Amino acid sequence: MTFFLRYVMRRAFQNMMGNLFPNLITIGIIAVSMLIFSTFTLFAFNLTNFLKIWEDKIEVIAYLKRGTPSSEVEPLLDRTRLLEGVEIVRYVSPYDAMTFMETKLGGQKNLLQGIQPALLPPSFEIQLKKDYRNPAKIDEVVGHLREIGQFEEIQYGQEWVDTFSALVHILRLTQWILGGLLLIAIVFITSNTLQLAISSRREEIEVMHWVGAGPGFIRVPFYVEGLIQGLLGGGLAILFLFLLHRGLFLHIPPSMQAWLARVPVLFLPPETIAWILLGGTVLGFFGSFVASIRVLRYK
Amino acid sequence: MVHVFKTYPSQMSALSDITLEISSGEFTFVSGPSGSGKSTLLRILCCAEKPTGGEVVVDGVQITHPGFKKIHQLRRRMGIVSQDFKLLRDRTVKENVAFVLEVTGHARGEAKSKVSDMLRQIGLEEREEAPILALSAGEQQRVAIARAVVNSPSLILADEPTGNLDAKTTLDVMGIFSDLNHQGTTIVFATQFTGLIKRFPYRVIHILNGQVSNGKKVASNDVREVKAGE
Repeated sequence: MTFFLRYVMRRAFQNMMGNLFPNLITIGIIAVSMLIFSTFTLFAFNLTNFLKIWEDKIEVIAYLKRGTPSSEVEPLLDRTRLLEGVEIVRYVSPYDAMTFMETKLGGQKNLLQGIQPALLPPSFEIQLKKDYRNPAKIDEVVGHLREIGQFEEIQYGQEWVDTFSALVHILRLTQWILGGLLLIAIVFITSNTLQLAISSRREEIEVMHWVGAGPGFIRVPFYVEGLIQGLLGGGLAILFLFLLHRGLFLHIPPSMQAWLARVPVLFLPPETIAWILLGGTVLGFFGSFVASIRVLRYK
Repeated sequence: MVHVFKTYPSQMSALSDITLEISSGEFTFVSGPSGSGKSTLLRILCCAEKPTGGEVVVDGVQITHPGFKKIHQLRRRMGIVSQDFKLLRDRTVKENVAFVLEVTGHARGEAKSKVSDMLRQIGLEEREEAPILALSAGEQQRVAIARAVVNSPSLILADEPTGNLDAKTTLDVMGIFSDLNHQGTTIVFATQFTGLIKRFPYRVIHILNGQVSNGKKVASNDVREVKAGE
């Protein structure tokens, strides 16, 4: 077995070195294809991550009807707390709302001069349980809140959540459609380069057939060549993507850096990197397999 | 071979109802003019082509059985020599012979000693590091024979192995085949040169238009005796 492995590796590297230029071109094309796919994966990953952060912070604001007596606030709070999916409910009085707005406006709080706190509606700030921080579940909770009938208006940024979710969905869809097309391209390219490699060694292969070399001795080095091409292509794609990711942060204006500190732009997690490398390797192998079916048949 | 037929898709009949038996350890010439079907017969014996009819058994293996797939295992028990040598031109003499052992899974140490022994036997030990293209046609054919027999096959199929060689080199090459036959190797030697057949008293199967036209068996003799009697 050790002998076979040594033989296979030696032959695969000899084949690659013997056809260095076509091999480099193939690795380059695989790297570019995988880079395009990985970039989409990185975008989708970060947007999903951003959506998760945003969903974690999501809360429902239910404005009470004007003139709701303060004696009804406490029972209403208790009733709201008992709703399914509700974690924390905080009552925000008109005075609290005014203080909050003054804090938000900072140096420009004089804009609020002349506005009476009583003009602002009292509200409930409702934090949802983790499992309920998604569009479908939020709708469910909002429906229950509406059934209570004592709220003037309920805000929860549904449009924003829906649009963002749709964007992530489209990105994921594009990622997989593009991935499928690139997959076919990679198999086609690898298969053609290896046919070239096989063709350049046809005398050797013919002799191998005549002397009774086992199919494994003939084919496996070409499979390994495809595996190496795929692995190197995938590895280069990850490396380029990493450098692009790093480069992006080096050239970002300081104002955006402060914003990015709150919404981190992450690099791909190790398991995704492993999947991309594995994907490249499998595609390389598949390309070499397709090439060998046609050319390396025992005759 | 029993009632073997070979017809190509162009409806050209290469072999027609061939029935013959070659015993183990026998040296057999397959003779006939160019296009008579000699090469087709040899190609069927080494599984490079399938007959369109009949049965073929080689070394106890029925190669015409539909389930027969292990061509490589059978080929390891065969040595194949052709007119155009089929040597790897970018390698040395030693590398060409060692290549067979490498791709059939022999350990490096074992391969090294076998190659040295083989090159000594065919008188090319002095030229083991020479590139193939630096050799004469006769030397190249000797390397091809060394490559065919280094794996100790029980059967050698030689298709016009002396076709490109001069008279003296032909006799040298025949000497090697004859020695191998004396060591017990079965040899099937296809040639169209009747002069060569007359010189060596082995069995001759004459093929004409894809059919056996004779099958006489000549008593085995030593090529050196023939040469001595020249």
